[in-house]
Amino acid sequence: MELDKAQSGGERANEARRGSGPAALLPATIVVRLEALVRDVRTVLNDFTGARPAPYSVREPLARHLIAVTPEPSPGITPRRLRVTRVVRETKDAVSLTLTDPEGRRITFVPGQFFTVLVTLASGEVLRRAYSISSLPDEDGAAAEVTITIKRMPGGRASNHLNERVAEGDVLDVLGPSGNFIVTPDPAARRHLVLIAGGSGITPLASITRTTLAREPESRVSLVYGNRGEADVIFRESLESLARDHADRFTLRHVLSDPPEGFTGRTGLLDHDNVTRELDAIAASSGLDADAAEYYVCGPEPMMIAAREALLARGVEPARIHEERFSAPARRTTPELPKASALVEIRLRGRTKIVSAAPGQTLLEAGLGASLPMPFSCTMGGCGVCKVKLLSGNVTSEEPNCLHEEERSQGFVLACVSHAAAPCTVEVP
Amino acid sequence: MFDTSRLTRFLPPRMQSQIDAYFEALDVLLSVKDPKVLGALGPSGVRGLILHRGKQGTPTDMPATHVAHFDWTYPSDQPEMADLYRRAKVGQWNGDDLPWHTSVDPFDPERPLIPEEFLSFEEIEALGIKIDKNERTQLSYSMCAWMLSQFLHGEQGALFAAAQVTEAVQFFDGKLYGATQVMDEGRHVEVFNRYLDTKLHKLYQINDNLFVIIDSLMTDGRWDMKFLGMQIMVEGLALGAFGTLYKLTKEPLLKELLKMVIQDEARHVHYGVCALREHFTKYITERERQEREDWAFEVALLMRNRFAAYEVYDEWFEGRMTRAQWRGVVDRSKGMVEFRTTMFSRLVPNLREIGLLSPRIMPRYEEAGLMRYFGGLAADKLTADKLLADLH
Repeated sequence: MELDKAQSGGERANEARRGSGPAALLPATIVVRLEALVRDVRTVLNDFTGARPAPYSVREPLARHLIAVTPEPSPGITPRRLRVTRVVRETKDAVSLTLTDPEGRRITFVPGQFFTVLVTLASGEVLRRAYSISSLPDEDGAAAEVTITIKRMPGGRASNHLNERVAEGDVLDVLGPSGNFIVTPDPAARRHLVLIAGGSGITPLASITRTTLAREPESRVSLVYGNRGEADVIFRESLESLARDHADRFTLRHVLSDPPEGFTGRTGLLDHDNVTRELDAIAASSGLDADAAEYYVCGPEPMMIAAREALLARGVEPARIHEERFSAPARRTTPELPKASALVEIRLRGRTKIVSAAPGQTLLEAGLGASLPMPFSCTMGGCGVCKVKLLSGNVTSEEPNCLHEEERSQGFVLACVSHAAAPCTVEVP
Repeated sequence: MFDTSRLTRFLPPRMQSQIDAYFEALDVLLSVKDPKVLGALGPSGVRGLILHRGKQGTPTDMPATHVAHFDWTYPSDQPEMADLYRRAKVGQWNGDDLPWHTSVDPFDPERPLIPEEFLSFEEIEALGIKIDKNERTQLSYSMCAWMLSQFLHGEQGALFAAAQVTEAVQFFDGKLYGATQVMDEGRHVEVFNRYLDTKLHKLYQINDNLFVIIDSLMTDGRWDMKFLGMQIMVEGLALGAFGTLYKLTKEPLLKELLKMVIQDEARHVHYGVCALREHFTKYITERERQEREDWAFEVALLMRNRFAAYEVYDEWFEGRMTRAQWRGVVDRSKGMVEFRTTMFSRLVPNLREIGLLSPRIMPRYEEAGLMRYFGGLAADKLTADKLLADLH
């Protein structure tokens, strides 16, 4: 019977206490009392011999103190203004912008998160784009400055603007930080992070690498980083410097499709075969245990698909594979917007309100406009904070977005990229 | 209590301290006049003061003996508690929303954790111990981390005691309110723990006297004693301590954190007054009432006299001054005087309000110098705003 097998935590602890010595012959309750007596006698003796423990212990931030925090919903979508204090050209197509709060407030974030940058073009049009933070927070989870890194996309209006026009002293409007592609630092952790990056996908993984090496002395990081040529490698010097400083805990492996002469790393694209070979090499050099490591993948879509297939083929549990996808809004399919207003019934924490969503207005904008404290963060379909369940009616959404297949099948939609095509009812989970 | 160092000065410093600690423990137990009160406090006293159960480097198991009181008719029995419950629901806040981004430098002279005059450095130097400016800052940091550590340990006690009280309380409206207090205490543990771990990086062991109080109320099976211990005494102590630090600190994150916590504490004490006023004045015998009156007095004295930050003494001054000298320094320090004033100005009116300050015990309060707080406002007349305004 199943119940017979059940054993309470206390009983298990007692079993463990008894072990296999003479104590195994005594009832557990007696053992517990004897142990307490021994501790009491030892404490009194120590009082006299001066062997008392130190009156305090040194503490470090625990993972639970640094978990991702969803910003409180504000009455509207109000961006935060950050000043650009440094501009560093990483490669000919990538720039790093260091940002600080003009009022001196430190910025709280978890490695792996991104900002939604509101880019105002010369025409006045405002574009929203997600750019990951590449720097690391201080020990307490906040930092006086953060660095985001932007790679120029062919024909990308926002990325070209940020690469060419932004200078020190400029002010950027941002939302967030957002995102669940994170590694919360835990000084007590002993883990192996395997990071697979392609091109600008290095940005969140650079933050994760830097933070993990700095805050988790017992953890190791293996980074496979694919690029076209050597000149395209973002953070090349700083990553190599980390590899030198943490040779026993950090493995850096470059894969180049257009390598220079004398390049000794793997060549070609980060496809299924190359990812497999790289993982084999990491396993051979570091004793990689596929069931114990956590895998973080960020890069171009073909590389992400190849990496996922390669990992699954090695028997890695899907729950250990973490992926960050940014589909540039420019490449999204935006369905035809509804031409008429529609009534939307929004249910939120026991409250119900019917609002009118104007044509072009997202469900999120309609809800916030009616003073409903709807949760949101990135406002561009990238973080999932604003997901709502569609109970009835019909909406059209920009695709792809960050919702998982399972969430879609359960009826969830993202309020920030969805429009009411007909009267509908949604519930904020 | 006399200075044992006159008898033990030929012994090594650690042994001198230990003998002083034992004499102090004995003094506490002998000062209790009522045998029933001694019976209630004695075993906890031994576990805390002699066996240092809170400092053994292992989790402490405290057996509970109270009765969980169920009522299947769900009566609406205490409108004042129902009102507190409604206020508690809308008064909930999220610890994540505090300005954790604030950079805290414990040694920043512009934003000191506690003012330099909190401890009397002059008194320490009068004992022939030279402490330079750097050491003064370090010592103030230790003192603040010690206080916050005791707040954290106290809040852990409050969390479990609030859960026990919720089970044991006889009023159904009180159970609903109690659930919100459990949440409040959980949040307080969260924010103090986070502040210590992420900003001060230091955690002191639980003070033995605080352990005694927590142990006593956790292991007492009587629901009204739990209430008295938890909601009146410990919460009163908490209000005194939080209020003092709130008033004195210049560190903005800590100030904001304490402000939020104080608002919750105001409700907690109010709950205790609500629950006990009728019970003590109508439903228990005079003998039982007297026992509770004596218990409250003894615990009040324990709280007044015994929070001497011995853990800071062990770290800084063992072998440099006697334990008794340190007691004198702490006792006369400006910060501790402020703490006692704030604590008793809240505690004494509440004891009066619930009927535990009858003319029978007044002379003992008078003797202890506590009757001057008699006329203050009890918790049921105090709003959180008024509480905070009093601290400015």
